[in-house]
Amino acid sequence: MKYYINALGMHLKSELEYRTSFIFSFFSQIIVFFSYYFVIISLFSKFDNIKGFTMYEVLLCFAVIQFGFAFNEVFARGLDKFDSLIVHGTFDRVLLRPRNIIIQVLYNESDFVKSSRLIQSIIILIIAVIKLKIKWSILKIICLLLMLISAVVIFFSIFLLAASYCFITVQGLEVRSVFTDGGKHMAQYPIGIFNKGFIFFFTFIIPYAFVNYYPLLYFIGKSNKVYYAFSPLLLFIYVIPCILIFYLGVKKYESAGS
Amino acid sequence: MKAYYTYFKLKFITGLQYRSAAIAGISTQFFFGFVYIMVFYAFYESGSGSLPMEISALSTYLWLNQSLFALINQFYRDPELFDLIKTGNISYEISRPKNLYLMWYFKLLGQRLSNVVLRFFPIIIITSLLPKPLNFTLPVSPQAFILFLVALSIGTLLVVSLSVLYPIIALLTMNEKGIVNIFAVVADLLSGVVIPIPFFPPILKMISRVLPFQYISDLSFRIYVGDISIQNGIYGIFIQLIWLFITITIGYSIMRHNIKRVVVQGG
Repeated sequence: MKYYINALGMHLKSELEYRTSFIFSFFSQIIVFFSYYFVIISLFSKFDNIKGFTMYEVLLCFAVIQFGFAFNEVFARGLDKFDSLIVHGTFDRVLLRPRNIIIQVLYNESDFVKSSRLIQSIIILIIAVIKLKIKWSILKIICLLLMLISAVVIFFSIFLLAASYCFITVQGLEVRSVFTDGGKHMAQYPIGIFNKGFIFFFTFIIPYAFVNYYPLLYFIGKSNKVYYAFSPLLLFIYVIPCILIFYLGVKKYESAGS
Repeated sequence: MKAYYTYFKLKFITGLQYRSAAIAGISTQFFFGFVYIMVFYAFYESGSGSLPMEISALSTYLWLNQSLFALINQFYRDPELFDLIKTGNISYEISRPKNLYLMWYFKLLGQRLSNVVLRFFPIIIITSLLPKPLNFTLPVSPQAFILFLVALSIGTLLVVSLSVLYPIIALLTMNEKGIVNIFAVVADLLSGVVIPIPFFPPILKMISRVLPFQYISDLSFRIYVGDISIQNGIYGIFIQLIWLFITITIGYSIMRHNIKRVVVQGG
């Protein structure tokens, strides 16, 4: 873990060396991010609800998902870029070091420019929560925290799966962006608004529903089933097979050479 | 002129080689198209507020958007051109007895067209078979279809004239990423690719009216679904041509003035 933090610090320093570039990219990320919630805001200027969800409820859902995704983009960028490790044969070096493989992959790269998304999603989260006038209780605080943590975990798992896929295909395929970017795009709306096939897939195969739907229902008071608040915990079970699959890939790994 | 046509053809044929990339692109486009349409559908079903467009027209609009995405999106860049600039190989390009602006213009045009040729038909064919009202439908009238083709062609020329500006910015600043990104996102938003212009809040509608971006694709798509009448469509095409002239003039003259001052990087 100490190495991970060290490496992150080094990445941050090297990115800050190009100061103007960093600042420009940081601002461009703010605008990119704005374009995401612009869609939600302009749609709600025409309609007043979507299947019973109001604007701030959707924005809350949006903020949670974006938080999880941005967190992984900043701190787990190495997984996202895993194919370049394999293509260039640098993964062999990782295997030689007597340290945890996943952590080494994580700190291989990072992208601090994306932290602007992290900050923005937290701001939107706060605004949404204030506007929603939640009746607070300890359980609801736990529920919100679990939502945020599980959002991080689910994207971590998906990134890990996409990375394991590189062991088979060598080159990263664009198809995985359906599950990362596409999944993110879809999960920024409460999953209940979609049709049944989608809900089934994103509950049991990639369990977004336990991140942004069931706990959300409890949090905004649409449901008072207490176990909904704890449903994000299922994600901690979901990540285990993802890690195992990754290690299975490592076992089968044949170097691509360099 | 023949030389430029060759550049166009070269890039067009090269682009056709990337078939697996096209398949990946198609599946992404499908997924995004479905998500967009289902979100809109859920809004429509909730039955609240005023509807700027019929759901069937909207579906057709959104599928046109997805199937022509490679042609009209603002994010497309040719990494080759940026490499030329950063490695210093641009000196070869400059020494050719041809106009650099037109060379780049036709290269980009060729790439975009070949990308869209591979993606367009599968998406259109499959989405026409979807259940109503989520399917892709035929144009409202033959006249509208002809006008759509005209507006789309000019829109394509317009979007290329904007994306030639990206490598030109890189040529001037050497560090184009931030600026180009901001430009692309704003252009993308205001062109109606993210959400159709009739759904914009009033202020943004005003802003987009005085900028060229809505003439890239929104005009032609709305002519196709009948949201813009033939008469207004002809008027729109007229403005489109003016914008095309302005953007090409800007790009062309910046290039001409600055090409003499270009600093070649590296050796």
